[in-house]
Amino acid sequence: MDSENQILPGHGALAAWEIASVTSSVLIAEWILSAAAGAGKAVVAIPISLAFILMIGSHSLRGESLRDLGFRFDNVFHALKLLLLPMLIIAIASLLVGLALGAKPNFLRWHPERWLVAQIGLGFAWGFVQQYVLQSFVNRRAQVIWGPARMSIFLTGVTFSLLHLPNPSLMVVTLIGGVIWAAVYQRAPNLFALAISHSVMTWVLVSTLPVSALNHLRIGFKYFS
Amino acid sequence: MDTKSRARLIHLLISKSTAEALLIAAVAVSFYFATTNLNLRGVLDKADRQIVSGWAVDEGNPGARVEVQLYIDDRFVADAPADKYRPDLSEAKRAQDDWHGFHFQTPQLSPGDHEARVYAVHASGGGARRTLQLIGKPYRFRLE
Repeated sequence: MDSENQILPGHGALAAWEIASVTSSVLIAEWILSAAAGAGKAVVAIPISLAFILMIGSHSLRGESLRDLGFRFDNVFHALKLLLLPMLIIAIASLLVGLALGAKPNFLRWHPERWLVAQIGLGFAWGFVQQYVLQSFVNRRAQVIWGPARMSIFLTGVTFSLLHLPNPSLMVVTLIGGVIWAAVYQRAPNLFALAISHSVMTWVLVSTLPVSALNHLRIGFKYFS
Repeated sequence: MDTKSRARLIHLLISKSTAEALLIAAVAVSFYFATTNLNLRGVLDKADRQIVSGWAVDEGNPGARVEVQLYIDDRFVADAPADKYRPDLSEAKRAQDDWHGFHFQTPQLSPGDHEARVYAVHASGGGARRTLQLIGKPYRFRLE
């Protein structure tokens, strides 16, 4: 070990620092800037942009290819096959919980001002971005710390859940979803399949659970508005 | 990952943290100035079983009447403009006119120690945000 290497943090510590840094950027945007920025909401984009610069820089420095990250098509069906059963179970559970809480399912409730197909398309794009951060970055860095195992899957789910503070219902479903998606990604890394699942599951949850339970999917400081 | 790449990644992480710290500091300072009226002056003169009174002037806009809110024992009591007759303020060159006093009727309170606070309401963000600024100091009083 040379002298320069001795003062650098280890691989695990560096990966943990990267996860903490990206997570903190999102929390800063959700909790500090969206509350304090007033009319200048564009300022929220600054920490998010910094997080993306860090993630892209990190991929480059670690020599990760787009294929490694999950930008690929060869395993879409394999990933979708792995996702199908958990998605079905969660959809049925969500329907039953919604009915138990007195909610009538309404599959046109998710942004009714838009065409449903367009909304699911937007959900796919937004889900793709979230899954990229969650899986291609957080999950992969968690694997640097613990390897492809339960702990890295759990950390990915917990991180996803924490980013949905303080919405309790959303934290529960994102913890479950985050763990399932992380486990599937470790077996079949494909962001397109995960984004499809993300969008469809958001649609199902919004359509079946009471509006009051999800509080319009609001998170961070906006949850209280 | 070689040592050079690790060092670069650490530089990237430090640079990002520094940029975010500067951003938060800038937002905090601008938030303070947006939500605080530095020209506000006022005193809570008196609080007893019958009345809570004092004055408030916005020296940046001396013709305006400051909206004030009374809290007793941390509970909201009333909201009113500071537009009551206070000739001593213009005599002391605190205000341009004589109408910057406030009077609140003290509500029914149990015997014992109480604390009155009066806050000026400061609107910012085009009226979307309203923040409270304490006028003078909290006033403690005792009812027998």
